Amino acid sequence: MIPLLMGIILVVVVALIFLSYYNRIIRLENRIDNAWSQIDVQLRRRADLIPNLMETVKGYMKHERSVLENVTKARAAIMKAKTPQENIDADNMLTGALKSLFAVAENYPDLKANQNFLQLQDELTHTEDKISYARQHYNDTVLKFNNVVETFPGVIFARMMGKQEREMLKIPEESREVPKIAF
Amino acid sequence: MLVEDHIRKNKRDTVIICMFMVILLFAVIFSIGLVMGFPPFFATAIGLPVALLYIAVTYSFSVKSVIAAAKARPANPSRREEKLLIYKVEEMAIAAGLPTPRAYVQDSSDINAFATGKRPEEAIICVTTGALRKLNTEELEGVIGHEMSHIQNRDILVATVTVGIVGAIALLAEIALRALFWGGGGRGKKGGENIILLVVALIFIVLAPIFSRLTYLAISRKREYLADANGAYLTRNPEGLARALEKIKADLPDDPKGSKTVAPLYIANPFKRSLRDSIWATHPPIDERIKRLRSM
Repeated sequence: MIPLLMGIILVVVVALIFLSYYNRIIRLENRIDNAWSQIDVQLRRRADLIPNLMETVKGYMKHERSVLENVTKARAAIMKAKTPQENIDADNMLTGALKSLFAVAENYPDLKANQNFLQLQDELTHTEDKISYARQHYNDTVLKFNNVVETFPGVIFARMMGKQEREMLKIPEESREVPKIAF
Repeated sequence: MLVEDHIRKNKRDTVIICMFMVILLFAVIFSIGLVMGFPPFFATAIGLPVALLYIAVTYSFSVKSVIAAAKARPANPSRREEKLLIYKVEEMAIAAGLPTPRAYVQDSSDINAFATGKRPEEAIICVTTGALRKLNTEELEGVIGHEMSHIQNRDILVATVTVGIVGAIALLAEIALRALFWGGGGRGKKGGENIILLVVALIFIVLAPIFSRLTYLAISRKREYLADANGAYLTRNPEGLARALEKIKADLPDDPKGSKTVAPLYIANPFKRSLRDSIWATHPPIDERIKRLRSM
């Protein structure tokens, strides 16, 4: 009688532990997906702002063809990107291209006085910051997920559920720090 | 311990603290009933519903009363400074993985900020116009990160509930002691068999306000450190918040305009004496906070 009772208790305890891990793993996985869609939204938003920026800048920067072309190219790469890493790489390209565009813009006082341009610059900087924070949050969440999935006893349940550790987004060394543009 | 573990522990503590405060409030009402000469059953039947009702009311009006006390208004996106504030709040919400709180502005030349709201879904982050003018992007980001951490850690819930209960206990104890002094004690003077119990209850009524206030302050100070640490984790830049705190310290006003009701919620207490370390302080000393941020 007593061994049977202990057996039942053991099964119930294990089932409860499994349940809590199951929920945790699923919840974290959903959070990763959500974090990714957050990045995706911001990438699109940023890409959508580019044509406007081009339109505003075109009239002023006639002689800066290569700078403008780089921005357009980077935007096209974002639109084409499929995997998360491709997306991030294209975004880094765009960040670099925009940085040189804004640097060149310093030489055009008329452009710098243009309200439309200023607003676009603010908004692009804002989306860029949002993207880097979204990336950071994505990686934070992946780290949490991996910690659950790779450590004992989570690793057992994760195997049973067929879940594996996720890949973090690789961010190039020089852009690891959030670029700060003084206002 | 990881920041993550701290937050989990904090959430658990939140429940315990709120329960403890409710029990304390109830015990005060019970003791008053006892001293006044009501039978224990009667004191319970009256005391418990009153305590719970009071907390429910404080809870549901908390956000409105804080915003009203601070005379805060929603940030105006057509002004560049306030638009950038809205942007920063959005960015920090993304970093924390929380719904975006509403950005509010308080017209004041002081540098300060606070967060309020019962749940993260309806949270508000309020920053003074002085802070918007005097802090640079990095420092503002540090401040917003700190406030976002308060939201993430459910500190605002504890702060609102405990502030309400501490106030209620102080008020009740005051009324009871006055009533006893003028009225010369309750009507149930049957004999001396309960005299010890009465004395204990009386001492409790005298001490409860002090005790509840100290408990609240201890929690508040501890949570400021945690919000600093977690804020720095969100921005990945402890230096931003450290510099903001330095500016706040250098800028502390001689005649604080901030409301005393809101003082414990602010990122730094606007009343100057809070620079010293004391068990009566709502915040840890600013210098110590800066030192801890710099050592991260």
